[in-house]
Amino acid sequence: MGTAQRTPFAMAPDSATGTSDTSVSASVCGFGTAAAITLVFNTVLAWAKDAWDPLNNFMAHLTGHHWITHGITDVAVFLVLGYVLTARRGGQRGNGIRLAIALVVCGLAAGAGLGFWFLIT
Amino acid sequence: MSEIILFAHPTCGVLGIMSALWVVVETLNASEANAWRLRLAAFACTVCIVLAWLIGGYWYVTFYAPEKAVILKGPWPWAHDLFMETKEHLFFIPLILALFLPIAAVQRLAGNQGARAVVLAVAGLIVFNGLVIEGAGAVISHGVKMALMPAGQKGTE
Repeated sequence: MGTAQRTPFAMAPDSATGTSDTSVSASVCGFGTAAAITLVFNTVLAWAKDAWDPLNNFMAHLTGHHWITHGITDVAVFLVLGYVLTARRGGQRGNGIRLAIALVVCGLAAGAGLGFWFLIT
Repeated sequence: MSEIILFAHPTCGVLGIMSALWVVVETLNASEANAWRLRLAAFACTVCIVLAWLIGGYWYVTFYAPEKAVILKGPWPWAHDLFMETKEHLFFIPLILALFLPIAAVQRLAGNQGARAVVLAVAGLIVFNGLVIEGAGAVISHGVKMALMPAGQKGTE
């Protein structure tokens, strides 16, 4: 009784904050952009170390295994880039829809890029 | 001990996928009432995926080398060359997304379609990548089985 029908993308603007209903906080924008960049970086790093043995050997030398170095590097890139991009926004909010699209495109392209690379090499 | 670690890895991965799916469901029904549940699901997803990374990573660098050699000598060498090589790098995608998910989920999602779109995109990608990775794990496991199975028994059961 009296329960309004809701759809995920058709809700009223956020009345509590008075902001646009598609805006996300500076930290979500900063770390979200960092995540999208890191996904692509991860694939490029995988290509680079698979194609160039000296890089693979160097990464293995750093921690004992190239995969450990790869994972730590990815997490570090995400955290540092996220902090820097958030700080650079100075509290300015961003568009969540655009960020979501960027994450999906980068996520799918990065995954497909990995599969395709190891299929052809 | 190796087997316990080996089974704990996909178990944590599946729990991470289920938590991400839980996030999707809560986000589709986002309201003030379920905000705490959504954040709990996002946090559970992060914990499970990080555990899957640490446990699986330990097994991979400690125990995988002999199994890799077995796979490469067997009839399914591509179980390593394609599936393991892709899986070990593909795993970092849900890991990074799982680290970001609690940051995205801490927002007020009710009444903000932008915030909901970000959370849905991140959780959806975790579910999709997680399922692909679980499938790849099954292929790798079967690659070992195919290599160890006597030639006459393959495909006869």
